[in-house]
This record gives sequence, C-alpha cells and structure tokens, in this order.
Amino acid sequence: MNKIALLVFISFLLFGCANKSNVRYDALSQSLERGGFSGAIQTIEKEKEDLYGEKSAFLYHFDLGVLFHYNRDFKKSIDHLTKAEQIYEDLYAKSVTNEAAALLTNDNTRPYRARPFELLFLYQVQILNYLAINDLDGANVEVKRAQMAMEALYQKDSEKVNDNGFLQYLTALVYEMNGENDNAAISYYKAVKAYQEYRQKLPTELVDFTSSSLQKNGREDDLRQLNIPNTETPLSQSLEEKGAEIVVVGYAGHSPILGEMRMSGTFVNGEGLNLTYTDGQTGEVKSFTMLAPIIAQSGTATAHIAFSLPEKKVLPFNVYDFSIYLNNEPEIYSESVTDLNDEITRNLKDDWSGTVAKTAARVALRTFAAQKTKKAVETSNPLLNLATSIGTDVASSQLEKADLRVGLFMPNRIHMTRIPVAPGVHDLDIAALDSRGATVSRFTFKQVSVQKGQKLFLFIPAIK
Amino acid sequence: MNNFFRVLFFFSLLFLVACSSNQKVSRIDPNAVVDLSGRWNDTDSRLVADEMIKDCLSRPWYSNMIQQKGANPTVVIGKVRNKSHEHINIETFIKDMERALINSGTVDFVASAPERQELRNEIESQAGNATDETRKDAGQEIGADLMLTGSLNSIIDQDGGEQVIFYQIDLELTDLQSHRKVWIGNKKIKKYISRDAVKF
Repeated sequence: MNKIALLVFISFLLFGCANKSNVRYDALSQSLERGGFSGAIQTIEKEKEDLYGEKSAFLYHFDLGVLFHYNRDFKKSIDHLTKAEQIYEDLYAKSVTNEAAALLTNDNTRPYRARPFELLFLYQVQILNYLAINDLDGANVEVKRAQMAMEALYQKDSEKVNDNGFLQYLTALVYEMNGENDNAAISYYKAVKAYQEYRQKLPTELVDFTSSSLQKNGREDDLRQLNIPNTETPLSQSLEEKGAEIVVVGYAGHSPILGEMRMSGTFVNGEGLNLTYTDGQTGEVKSFTMLAPIIAQSGTATAHIAFSLPEKKVLPFNVYDFSIYLNNEPEIYSESVTDLNDEITRNLKDDWSGTVAKTAARVALRTFAAQKTKKAVETSNPLLNLATSIGTDVASSQLEKADLRVGLFMPNRIHMTRIPVAPGVHDLDIAALDSRGATVSRFTFKQVSVQKGQKLFLFIPAIK
Repeated sequence: MNNFFRVLFFFSLLFLVACSSNQKVSRIDPNAVVDLSGRWNDTDSRLVADEMIKDCLSRPWYSNMIQQKGANPTVVIGKVRNKSHEHINIETFIKDMERALINSGTVDFVASAPERQELRNEIESQAGNATDETRKDAGQEIGADLMLTGSLNSIIDQDGGEQVIFYQIDLELTDLQSHRKVWIGNKKIKKYISRDAVKF
C-alpha cells in the first residue's frame, strides 16, 4: 500500500507542470481577432500565469515584445525583448534538476530557451525598434549582440542555423548609418553569403546595395566570390543622388505554430526503433527505422511505444505582399527578405533525429518502468490490480506531451523596401495584398518628413 | 524494484528543489566591488570617472588655457557615443567627471545642447509671464571654450562558456575656436568571464 501511495504522490508531483501550449494560441488568437494587437497584449498581461507560466517566461516577454513592436510602442517592445534575451542568457547553464524532471516527464518541464530562429528574429526586431526611435547607438549595441549570438550558435553547432541574411542586411544598414562603410561592406557580403548558404531567394535590392558597397570599398574580389552581377546599381545611385531614404518594413501573414504529430512503433532496447507517423503536410503515412538508444538494466526488452512530436501547423492568413505608392508615383512592389515559415521548417528538420531518439527512449523507459510498477504493486485483489494497471498506463501516457512552445506572433514573411527620396515631405500609400494581388488593407502615411542623410523606417504589421 | 522507487524518489526531490525560490536583500557599501554577470557595472563606471578626472587635471592643457585666457576654461559636454555591445548609461561617469571638475574649481561647465534648449524654452516662457525684476534675458549665455566628446568601444572574444571582454573609453577635449584637440584621455578595462554549462 505504501508503494501505491508513493506512486500516487510522484504522479501528482509530475502532473504539476502541465502543457499550456495547447490553450495559449486558442485564447490569444481570439483576443487578436477581437481586440487587435492591444487586445492580445491585454490578455497576455492579464493571464500571464495561465497562458505561459514560469517555464515559458522567455515566450511571455518575446510575444509581448513582438506585439508591442506591431503596436508601435517601441520602448515597451525593447523592454520585453531585453528581458527575453536576459532569460535566454540566464538559461545558458543547463539545470541538472530540470533535465532530470524532463527525463521523467516531458520537455515542457524544462524552461524554454528559444529556438535559434526566434533568437535571431528577436535581434531583428530590437534593431528595428531602436531605429524606429532614432537611437542609433541602441541599434548599434543590438547589432553587436546579434553578432555575438550568431557566433555562439555557430560554436554550439555549425551544422544548424547560426546565421541570417536579413539580420546581416540590417547590420549593414546600421553600419552605413554610423558612417562605418568598411563594416557595412563586410555585412553586405555576409548577408548575401547567408542567403546563398540557406538557399533563399536573394532580394534584388540587396544585390544592388551589396554590389555598390563592395565596389566602393575596393572589394571586387569579394564581389566575384559572391558571383553576383555588379554592373548596374540603380537603387544605390538613386540614393546617392537623392540623399535620403524611406525604408518600409512589412510583416506579411502569420508564421506557422507547432501542432502535435502522433508517432507509434516498436522499441527494441539498444537495437532498433521502428516508427510510423502521418505527415501533417501531405497526409502520407510514413515509417522509418533508426538505432534505438540503450536503456540500462533493461536487457533487450521490447516495448510498443506511442508519443507525440512537434510538427509545423500552418495558420490561415491573407497578406502575402505589399505595393507602395510614394507621392502618387508608379507603384513599387516589396520583396521578401526573410521567411519565418522556412525557418520553422529548417529548425524542426535540424532537431528531428535528436528529438525522436530522446523522446522514444524516454517513453520506452517509462513503459518498462510501468510494467515493473504493475508487478510491484500487484495484490490479491483483482479489481485493485486492474485499477492500478489502468492508472499506471494512463499516468504514463499522459506524462508524454510534445513541446509545442514557439513564438506565436511572428510574421510569415518580412518584406523590406528601400525607397530613395529627396529630403522633404512625402506621402505614402501602402496596400497589403492577398495571394492574387487584391488589396486586403491600406496603410496611409501623410506628410512624412525626411531629413538629408536620414533613413526613415515605417512599419506595416499585416500578420492576419 | 526497490532501487527503481529510490531513483524515482530522488529525482522527485530534485524536481521539488528546482521549483523552490529564495530571495534575500541587504545593503552594501556603494564603493564595494560586486561583479555578478560580468556586464558593465557601477564599478567600471567609477573606475573610468576616477581615471579620467585624475588624467584630465594633471595634463598641461589646463595651465596653457589659463595662461591664454586668464580665467577658468569653460567646457560643454558633447556627444559621447556608446559603440559597445551593451546598453550602457554613459551619463553616470560623465556626470561624475563633470561634478569632480566643477568641485575642483578649475573648470566651468555650461549646459549641454539639449539642456540649453530646455533653458531657452524657460526663458521664452518667462518673457511673457515673469515680473520685470525676476525675468531672465535671452542672449546672455556663456560660450564654451572646449567641447568634451568621446566613445566607449568593446571587443569580445568568446568560446562556449568563456568570454574576454575588452572595453576602451576615449574622451577628448577640443578647442571650439581652433578645433585643436587639447587633451585625450583613455581607460581600458579587460574582463574574463566564465559560465558553467551545468548547474543544480
């Protein structure tokens, strides 16, 4: 009986850290729909504990930071994203107790430390926040912090994501604003390299500015190495002639979030792991075999296991593109500079084999433990035995929850358009377009004042 | 079997320890050196101010200015740029420096550009609202002889949990009339930081 009490006590303890990811998006998407960015912010602040909890403190500040940025409250956005970054740094050291808890239960018991693309997105938004409030020194600091973060990611695992073309592009812009043209040329070079390395479409305006910057700084060899055309740089020339620019940053559509993918199969300790699952994108049933990790003191035990893993869940959205009218001149189409949909796909792919092996081993360990527990608590009462057996199985299966935590309000794609203008006052009319090019919503900026040499940033948050 | 429960119980206790928290607050000497994260802190700010004040007052530029002008030189604070990797409030050591120089009786300071704007707004407001006897006139400001400008830079080398951070702070006094630099002060601070990859 003491053993049963102990089992109940432990199960009670472990259920304390429940998965909040499932409810979070449902609650917040309604607030976003009804009350816009302010509505979602209010709900997050009011229901911090219920929706996020201590273990997802990074996401609490990250989501608020992104929403405040969309809501043009750049100072609050800076505060929250700074806190998120601080939490990320504080979690550098892995806690043995948290890892032990995760070994017994699931990955949701670990404090969330951010996926690499979320961290890089955080720095993109921070740089833009500081540029929005005309704090060039602040933007400069964020550029350096971003470079340190990319270096740390590279040192941690050079095979996984550790660079970002758009982040390097923003870095080049900040260096240009500082008058550090050598550093700007290096960042332009790195930006093109990152797009090429990750096989992303190179924005034409980046090609233009990179060519111009590398040529002006005597880096023709670098230009040849990048293998990009360097003859025409109309945008850079126009910027030089006009002397100022308006930079339109558009957030198009909603990034995917994470849903659960069910997997089941056979685990043969130390030998093989055969798993079957349904691909969420294609609906195709797939199976694969991999080497099973060794669970000590379990011999060649075999277990039928079932568990969930995170998979990409695409959300519906309307905005795919932007067209910009400056002072009623011919329209300018914006270009995508980063694709968060791709980033999530790549991240899940990078983590796939590690997550499968770790989760399968945990579930198999728990299955073996459950079998031993049933034997240990067997009594002469068949009804009690049945209840214990069912309870053990339910407790064991309920403990396994996929870690679905991810930033909820990132855009699907970021568009950036640099428009050279003469110093003075300008009117802008920006249309957010759907997949067929029809206007979904309009954003109008009247009498925008631009000074000589200025880069003025305008933001279009159209994530719906 | 008993071993299994012992292990499970041990992990559960660890789990409980992980969930507990403890906070303690105590007052300490403002001059005490306490390094927690390795980031720029009050000690760094104080070290910079002390070094710069000492250096600034011991150099020949001051006696040269006195000889030339026959009075204390007047200084205005210009832009001191933060080019480091941290959001640092540069005003702390600049204010320390300003206070030490004013209190030494050797240098006069005039308000900086943003402060002057606020003062001019106040004078403008007085013009229409204050009595004749108490009203202050525009156009009576003292023009500075020298401008203090500078920058804070950092270089970082990192590998895993280890970091070496090098800060360099450069301040300079420039003659506003001739644009001649009369003094350049600099302070270097180097820190080694190591972080454990695992904790309990």
